[in-house]
Amino acid sequence: MRFLTKIQLPLVVLTILALGVGLWLVLTAPADYQQGNAVRILYVHVPSAKMALLSYFFVTLVSALYLWRRQETYDILAEAGVAVGAAFTFVTLASGSIWGKPMWGAWWAWDARLTSVLVMLILFMGLMALRNALDDRIKAARATAVLAIIGAVDLPIIHYSVVWWRTLHQPPSFAGPAKQAITGELLPPLLAMSVAFVLLGAALLVLKSREVAARRQWEAVETERLEQIHE
Amino acid sequence: MPLLILLRATYRVAWKDVVGDWRRRATLSSMLFFAIAVLVVFQVAFDPDRQEATRLLPGLLWATVLFTSLMGLGRVFQAEEEDGGLEGLLLASVPRGVLFFGKWLGNLLLTVLVELLLLPLTLVLFNVDVWGQLPALIGVLLLGTLGLTGLGVLLAAMTQTARSRETLLALLLLPLTAPLLIAGVQAMAGLLDPSLELGSWMRLLVIFDVVYLALAPWAFGWLVAE
Repeated sequence: MRFLTKIQLPLVVLTILALGVGLWLVLTAPADYQQGNAVRILYVHVPSAKMALLSYFFVTLVSALYLWRRQETYDILAEAGVAVGAAFTFVTLASGSIWGKPMWGAWWAWDARLTSVLVMLILFMGLMALRNALDDRIKAARATAVLAIIGAVDLPIIHYSVVWWRTLHQPPSFAGPAKQAITGELLPPLLAMSVAFVLLGAALLVLKSREVAARRQWEAVETERLEQIHE
Repeated sequence: MPLLILLRATYRVAWKDVVGDWRRRATLSSMLFFAIAVLVVFQVAFDPDRQEATRLLPGLLWATVLFTSLMGLGRVFQAEEEDGGLEGLLLASVPRGVLFFGKWLGNLLLTVLVELLLLPLTLVLFNVDVWGQLPALIGVLLLGTLGLTGLGVLLAAMTQTARSRETLLALLLLPLTAPLLIAGVQAMAGLLDPSLELGSWMRLLVIFDVVYLALAPWAFGWLVAE
């Protein structure tokens, strides 16, 4: 935790700088000849989708480490990772919908990626709800760690079952712009935003972890104080 | 430990639950009537004619089974929780995975019993004439139920001490069973209409069952560890 306190300020400053540069590149890049200005949404959508997935990997990793090592630090990181991941997942779905309406003519399509990301959002929400609903902290830590791992096993199964379902029934709904190679002028803003989002994810994780750790410490002090009063 | 002892322990835990449920007569009948209530809801909501009913049948059946299984799963650990029975079970000198399989088997027997009553009832109530396919439909239903109850009992163990645990159980179980629903519905549709794919959906059901029945006992051990 002390390490996190040290890197917090440089990380936040770096994030703000990177986001500034990224947004400047996004707004000055030329509009796409097919998608027009809507292509700019993708510079937020694609990095946040990658961060959402990365967050789930991270939560699964620290959950496994928690079950193995039983150190509270891993549980704190898992709780923080869930909150950060939920935020990125929500941004992914929202920005994707806003992009989808003008491009596909629909806010939503039940294809494999959309379905599994939606389930991922429900899983993040479920992880939060489960933690809140269990009073015993050790039990909550174990239950959420196990759930995170089960979810990590389930998400690829969901993805591939929807792929099979869709391909056996009908051709993939949309094989449009996503399949084409990203070239030339689109690349610098996308790269800059990807870097900025990685930094943003790290910064949010650090801030949230410290908040979670502080809240737990405060709760422990409070419990002790109440016990003294009762004595 | 010899396999026989482990099997006997599994059977004892399961039998205790089944006999308990039978004596109270609560779970089985309420699950069955809940299932009928769900069928009524579907009938009123969609009002399908005969042709539509045949097309909708797989989805209707699986949705009803899923909702109904939630009722049974909510009670798997209820008795253990109320009377401190879980501590007693954990004292038994068998691996924790065996206790999981016992609880799972008990819930599986109950759920299968409800399904065996539900399936012909659905065919009657929706006027679908696929009686020739009845054994095959039961087979698909049983295959899916293995994984459904495996995952369900694990989630029930996970949420047993949580506040508003039945809501939480539903929130977690419904999205995680998406592959099972897709495969189960498609496999049943394949049975009813030979022009549709069947084999790969049966394979997906088997994969789901194997993954969860391998993962769940291990995960259960973590949940109840001291």
